[in-house]
Amino acid sequence: MAILPPDVSAANFAKALDAFRAVLGADWVFSSAEDLGPYRDSFSPVWDTQQERLASAALAPANVEQVQAIVRIAGQYRIPLFPISTGKNFGYGGPSPNVTGSIVLDLKRLNQVLELEEARAFALVEPGVSYFDLYRAIEEKGLKLMIDCPDPGWGSPIGNALERGIGYTMAAFRDHFGASCGMEVVLPNGELMRTGMGALPGSKSWQEYKYGFGPDPSGLFAQGNFGIVTKMGFRLYPRPEHYRTGLITVPKRRDYVKLVEICNYLNDAMLCGEIVYASPLAALMSKPDFAALAKKPGGPSDAEMDAAASAAGLPSWQVDLQFFGPEATTAANWAYAKDRILSAIPGAKAIDGDAFALPATPKQMENATQPYRTSIRRHGALGVPSLGIWKIVRDDGHLGFFPILPRSGEAVFEMQRVMCDALREFDTLPSYFNATTAPLHWHSFAFQMVFAPPVRRSDLAHNAMVDRAMKKAVEVAAKHGWGDYRAAPIYQDAVADTYSFGNHALRRFHEQLKDAVDPDGIIAPGRGGIWPKRFRK
Amino acid sequence: MIERRDLLKLGAAAPLALGFPAALLARTAGVAMWVRDTRFGMTGAGLMPAANEHLVDGDVTGLWTGSLDAAWRKRGFVVAGVTGSDALFVLEHLAWSRGRRVTQRQEIAPAQGALPALVQWTIEPTHPSMKA
Repeated sequence: MAILPPDVSAANFAKALDAFRAVLGADWVFSSAEDLGPYRDSFSPVWDTQQERLASAALAPANVEQVQAIVRIAGQYRIPLFPISTGKNFGYGGPSPNVTGSIVLDLKRLNQVLELEEARAFALVEPGVSYFDLYRAIEEKGLKLMIDCPDPGWGSPIGNALERGIGYTMAAFRDHFGASCGMEVVLPNGELMRTGMGALPGSKSWQEYKYGFGPDPSGLFAQGNFGIVTKMGFRLYPRPEHYRTGLITVPKRRDYVKLVEICNYLNDAMLCGEIVYASPLAALMSKPDFAALAKKPGGPSDAEMDAAASAAGLPSWQVDLQFFGPEATTAANWAYAKDRILSAIPGAKAIDGDAFALPATPKQMENATQPYRTSIRRHGALGVPSLGIWKIVRDDGHLGFFPILPRSGEAVFEMQRVMCDALREFDTLPSYFNATTAPLHWHSFAFQMVFAPPVRRSDLAHNAMVDRAMKKAVEVAAKHGWGDYRAAPIYQDAVADTYSFGNHALRRFHEQLKDAVDPDGIIAPGRGGIWPKRFRK
Repeated sequence: MIERRDLLKLGAAAPLALGFPAALLARTAGVAMWVRDTRFGMTGAGLMPAANEHLVDGDVTGLWTGSLDAAWRKRGFVVAGVTGSDALFVLEHLAWSRGRRVTQRQEIAPAQGALPALVQWTIEPTHPSMKA
């Protein structure tokens, strides 16, 4: 049986599809089950169940005028639209909508790199442009610019930024929404709006000053449902001349506290790129005795972990550091980092890593010559899009819970302990939280940790267990002040519910805005946990 | 890396011996490129027209940036291959975004250890804007 939009009859849905065909041409209106296959969430833990969120149709407009026409027709028939850029948001719902029966608005044909400016270091792109496309455009023009891209690079800079995705270079660029500058948006009534300097006719600084004058609403369009972004500007990193790496190890568990303090300074003072922490002791997790220690209820003591490290002849922690800039600057910054850390932490050791001029050669991109075992994937580190990350994906994908925590060693130890205990009952899942778990410094100024349980379409009991684990992780983390930064549609309400200060004042404010600009919920109702009155129970 | 003897142990010898090469070769007409996954050793070696063969190790980045990204912006260009299911996952999603589908797929060997399942497949243009 065909899926219908909520509260829309089959006859009216057919009329709406005819209206869309009149605008787009029949080839760009998709409504058969076969055509809609690509708009399912390949990583869904509720695949083929009643809970799976499915589209009723998909539309692929060729330009902004067609997007506006679609929004107006959808408004006439009260049909929710779910806009996607390239639809590769796997682990967070992919291209599937929040509301079953929504029409996916696939913006893949809006795929132009509209502006690329080397001297002022920015790009203006459409939503169907991928990181590969932007990288290629820069290379073809021979511009000395570096992009900051996620793993993998088939996503869209706009889509990723609107999901608050991250990358792996310098702090100013890793926050992809933070590095955006100016956007064009089709509003729920079909009007076209530009933010910042883009609102000033004749302005040439749309991608250089994001605020313009007055309140800046651009944040409403990230993880939100207040409009459809059809253009967006991004600040780009002037390609550094040189890249240098180094590794520092510290012997004791408690040394991590001081190590993080110093590395925070290096990051915040813009002296280094993404900081990649790891514990060499994680290699011992295959040994039952050590794994039991690392997952000990209430957490192991520092002395116990130090004894295990000493017995194994391993340092407790390591940090991969990366430096960008003129060769002399990278050398000076690495020397400074070594001096700061080695003078502050007894027993700390430093190893010089690869250093070379940019752009990297294909051989350098392989990252095979480091004199130590590195955790850095060099494509991401150097802003070169890749698809290699998919080699690590097994089963039928995974979910993602990435709680934000403070950038301190103590906070890391607490999350290790609390989340390990909380998820102990799900002992068939990999151990995402234990005394060797290191945080990620993907966000510019915050840590996050990873809970990414695998999904198996053929094993409903496993998926049900994963679902329970996800919900418990969200709930327990929130009780300790740790919130998820991004979630699949089936978890967005649960995550949004945890941001409850002032009796959910933030959600109520969002709902007031939604009711004012989109009372019928034409744009992605439920996205970000924001429901218009029509859909609120 | 899985060698032929490992596939024999996996019970994959039957399709290899009884029909896999023949089935693959039967679909040579119109195939513009063959893709082979080197993680699976000898599997498929010598079965594909060498001139149009592209080797991957599970990572299809080079295949995408060097060939398919440009080729799949135009009409036509059928691709067939024998790869890990992880590589096919990526190629299938890229194909969808360019008006193409996996029109034939057959598992040759199940996942084993760190290696994913080995799959034989064909991707063809299906959208009117991409059909030859």
